[in-house]
Amino acid sequence: MEEVMMAIVIVGILFIALPWLIFHYVTKWKSQATLTTEDENLLDELHDLARRLDDRLCTIERIMTAENPAWRSVACDPAAIGLEDRSIAESSLSATTNEPRRIGR
Amino acid sequence: MTPRHTKFYRDKRNGRWLGVCAGIADYTGLDVTLIRIATVLLTILGSGMTIIAYLIAGWMAPKKPIEFAAETPEQAKFWQGVRASPARTVRDVRSRFRDIDRRLADVETYVTSSNSQLAREIEQLR
Repeated sequence: MEEVMMAIVIVGILFIALPWLIFHYVTKWKSQATLTTEDENLLDELHDLARRLDDRLCTIERIMTAENPAWRSVACDPAAIGLEDRSIAESSLSATTNEPRRIGR
Repeated sequence: MTPRHTKFYRDKRNGRWLGVCAGIADYTGLDVTLIRIATVLLTILGSGMTIIAYLIAGWMAPKKPIEFAAETPEQAKFWQGVRASPARTVRDVRSRFRDIDRRLADVETYVTSSNSQLAREIEQLR
């Protein structure tokens, strides 16, 4: 009697519980979000686009740094330029020095 | 149809025999030597399962498409990141775009403000 019960339990575990467990995880794994081909192509394109935009922006930033090394500080605080500009305008009226104007802080 | 980047391929070109270890290295981004040593160790310590697994992988997995041979190390690294965690890669790309947006905004601010400065100077010359 005892052995029969044992056999039923083992067979139950082996043929019902184990496949159940495996298929449970298989379905879970399959339902997980994965990349489709379109997603993959889109991601590839976006990555490439980001890289190219980055390169172009680097070129522009380099050109602007060559023109005016202090352009970043100008871009940081637009309010400061307005204040700074007036003094530049006044000083340029009084003294006509040809030195490069320092804009920004 | 273009070959998928997120599938496992065996890398026969860089492989020792069937290219499974090189394929795993290419897939995960780990060092080939490390994976080979791990394989050999598993074979010695464990049973013959590793050899069977190797043969099955070598039989099932397709060869690496010829298109992927030309990809740069930077691209290979990018796809390894995608395979490891697509969500993180998407966030990375988004942060790159945000960075570009911020820098472009700086440039725009400078260009527009220096234009108004130019306009003021012209105004003074009149």
